[in-house]
Amino acid sequence: MTITRRDFIRSMALDSAAVAAFTMFPGISFAGWKPTDLSSDSIQWSKTPCRFCGTGCGLLVGVSGKRAVAVKGDPNCSVNKGLCCVKGYHSVQVLYGRDRFKTAYVRKNGKMVPTPIEKALDLVASRMKESIEKTGKDSIAIYGSGQWSIPDGYTASKFFKGCIGTNNVEANARLCMASAVTGCLTTFGLDEPMGCYEDIDNADVFITWGNNMAEMHPVLFSRMLANRKSKTHVRIIDLTTRSTRSSQAADKSFIFNPQSDLAIANAICYEIIKNNWVNQDFVSKHVSFYKGKTHIGYGTEDHFKFKDKGEAVDFNAYKEFLKDYTPEIAEKISGVSAENIKYLAALYGDPEKKVTSFWTMGMNQHTRGTWINNLVYNIHLLTGKISTPGNSPFSLTGQPSACGTVREVGTLTHKLPHGVVMKEKARKLAAKIWGVPESNIDPKPTYHTVEMFRALDRGEINFMWIQVTNPMVTMPNLRRYRNGAKKDGRFIVVSEIYPTPTSDVADVILPSALWVEREGFFGNSERRTQHNEQLVPKPGEAMCNTWQLIQVARRMGFEKQFPWKEDSYIEDIWNEYIKFHDTPKHRMAPYKLLRERSGVQWPFVNGKETRWRYNGKYDPACRDDTWDFYGKPDHKAWIWLRPYEPPAESPDREYPFWLNTGRVLEHWHTGSMTRRIPILHRAVPESYVEINQEDAKTLGVVNKSLVKISSRRGSVVMKVSINGRGNPPKGMVFVPFFDESYLINEVTLDAFCPISKQPDYKKCAVKLEKV
Amino acid sequence: MGKQGQKIGKLFFLFVVISVIALPVIILQAFFVNTDNALAKVNKAETADFDHKAKQLFGTYNGTTPAYMEGNSTDRTLDYYYSLRVYPGSPPFIPHDLADGKGAGYECLSCHERGGFVQAMNRFTPVTPHPQNTSCRQCHIKMVTKTLFKENDWVSVRPPKLGRSALPGAPPPIAHALQMRENCIACHVGPGTVVPIRVEHPMRGNCRQCHLPEETKALFTRNPK
Repeated sequence: MTITRRDFIRSMALDSAAVAAFTMFPGISFAGWKPTDLSSDSIQWSKTPCRFCGTGCGLLVGVSGKRAVAVKGDPNCSVNKGLCCVKGYHSVQVLYGRDRFKTAYVRKNGKMVPTPIEKALDLVASRMKESIEKTGKDSIAIYGSGQWSIPDGYTASKFFKGCIGTNNVEANARLCMASAVTGCLTTFGLDEPMGCYEDIDNADVFITWGNNMAEMHPVLFSRMLANRKSKTHVRIIDLTTRSTRSSQAADKSFIFNPQSDLAIANAICYEIIKNNWVNQDFVSKHVSFYKGKTHIGYGTEDHFKFKDKGEAVDFNAYKEFLKDYTPEIAEKISGVSAENIKYLAALYGDPEKKVTSFWTMGMNQHTRGTWINNLVYNIHLLTGKISTPGNSPFSLTGQPSACGTVREVGTLTHKLPHGVVMKEKARKLAAKIWGVPESNIDPKPTYHTVEMFRALDRGEINFMWIQVTNPMVTMPNLRRYRNGAKKDGRFIVVSEIYPTPTSDVADVILPSALWVEREGFFGNSERRTQHNEQLVPKPGEAMCNTWQLIQVARRMGFEKQFPWKEDSYIEDIWNEYIKFHDTPKHRMAPYKLLRERSGVQWPFVNGKETRWRYNGKYDPACRDDTWDFYGKPDHKAWIWLRPYEPPAESPDREYPFWLNTGRVLEHWHTGSMTRRIPILHRAVPESYVEINQEDAKTLGVVNKSLVKISSRRGSVVMKVSINGRGNPPKGMVFVPFFDESYLINEVTLDAFCPISKQPDYKKCAVKLEKV
Repeated sequence: MGKQGQKIGKLFFLFVVISVIALPVIILQAFFVNTDNALAKVNKAETADFDHKAKQLFGTYNGTTPAYMEGNSTDRTLDYYYSLRVYPGSPPFIPHDLADGKGAGYECLSCHERGGFVQAMNRFTPVTPHPQNTSCRQCHIKMVTKTLFKENDWVSVRPPKLGRSALPGAPPPIAHALQMRENCIACHVGPGTVVPIRVEHPMRGNCRQCHLPEETKALFTRNPK
């Protein structure tokens, strides 16, 4: 669907008629919404994936008179089968916030001045050229996100890596699922989960690792509850560092000390081996054992470098290694009783029970994120509970296209759409498809996200283009990176829909078209690619992010690589992109099919979606009809010997509390969208700090008292919540990060997993003072 | 003859009344011997249409007492009903107080599954049409403020008109989408309902014998191109 200028003007007229109609009938009061003069019969329903989290629910958006007016769950979408969460149901309201950017802005004498978008794009191109000429190609960078539609990320990668020749391409998904990627790569050799959401209907036991699904993946959570309700024996076990809504719904909830999940996972494996619950046949045929480096550091210093090295070992060495993790020892580290650890091991070990493990940020935002991902895979590999319906170690994502755009397109410094920049074969393939000389693609990765912002602060990067993300709220140790971005000589371009702390530091703001205002694709947590049509007109001069990139690339002389026409470029990009994945291990569905269906899972081979990878019964890429972990050269999955190591910073006498950060159901990430949705803002208008009742008593604070939370890096003053929605144990506080008025990331620490380079937002030391 | 006839008539009427009361009880017992299994079947139903869920709907119907069905002690107006929503069919927000920790499990359903009078709120509880979904606060949230972060220019369509019968006196079509609102009696019957949409003849039970959803506005055409 294309929308012409005439359509747009007509829709504007219709809008004003609607408002006029409303003022003409003041007698009718609808407190809920302003009614247009259109009746509900005028609604046209069209499918789209939801704009928010990585679940990838199918929505039906109702359009009436060129405006989105209603939402239903898409009953044809197997993800959510017609049910959404409150964000999904109200998602279309995000299009109509009154402070939408409808024109470009350029900073002149410190003030943002409205500027025609073509002129703003000229300026962006000339500043990029200038930086490249003066300080080299690696002084410019693009920072995108898992909310990039697939064509956005693909175009950015082709433009920066293929045409300009810099690997300064990163995405906020580095802060979100990089450990999941390295976890998958180190264990299986290929990224992304092997299972699918049908596991939820088939499992007998669910174990959630540091994962508040009731709020973060509500649709999957309620699908889990429906399974439990329909069968009397299903159990949900919540392993967590803080009591949440998910804990309340779970059959059992075990609170563990931050970072000690490493010890618990190893202790579970110890028990499985001790009680002969190992699936010997599976392990002997499909598993090999590896030992990596230890004492690997935390990355808090600039220019930190680390490279892991796997050393092959045998089962006996693994058994020996696990002797340090008896349930009794793990109890001392974790605070979870040995009895409960044995109970968990018995659930995983019972050959009659199908077990699915879920995790998201608790395991990924972890200074040993790769390790804990490996360790949970170890449990499933020891018991052979993998790649069959209901048996699934399942890493969920937080953004609608973290998988689609970041993991699959590879918008990270070391990645190409297929393979890594370090490999000649991958560079050759990319150069061929992109129509650029192979020498264009730099074989050396540059900066991962944290280091990229450090380089911006140090001045090695002086031009950064930020699209669809809000790093001036989300970067850990935020103050350093905000000050860095504001330094003289830095030029920041921000493609955004609403004013945010990031657009506040911009030199150029480009107004973006959002979600159903443009055509695009997302890729969800279960390898499902989902197409959305343009359903409503773009406001003002707003422009699709892909088109912004193409416009600037052409201005820099890359017309040949970006020849596409405005009415078909999304389809053309898709057709070019899927050439990268044309093997049975990763084949994507054709454009036409994606338009028709509510999402299609890859590998899409011989007209069929692959529900479970690595199992020949379901996956045609396997050698025979049994398990085949073809991602590794030995066709085996690797069990890693990963020890417990303490976090980068722990509470001490001066800073006696753990600080944990995260989200709430109503708000998505930094709230730049959900806070403009009236019903969501009115439910959770501001952030707060959850404090345990006993700690509150000691501090002498009650609900809504103000406390100052300070760390070695910064402080924030906010209201106290005691016995609220979540309840941290004694010695921990929790702060939702959505509220730009309380920048909790000025307090957090920029320590990261040395393998994945993903920061840990869940653990640092703070002190509290009553204000 | 006349008197005799009346007597037989009375007896027959009594028999009918007893049957009407006894039958649902018998059916009810047959259906709900194993509630879990019955629910399992409903929850597993892939298709959400009436043809597959009707058994559950009749189950709810049978479980509702005649007295409750005819109850009429609500002050809920349609305006109030829509004031809790942002477009026709959006999940309403929670208009009453509740402890923040609650709502991940079955607490909401203890009132909203079957309805009844709530002393604390001095009113009858509205009944949810989709009690099979138990993670209530996934979609229904509580407002704690009236302020906004930023203004929003949201508008939506008019709510559907009531009583649009095709012929004078004919049963009106179903004015809303049926997804998650298949269970007619939850919202259209009983003392907790909104007055203008309360039905006058709840005892008939098989609502969709007369009231049909409108799947399309288009008319029949032969061999549509």
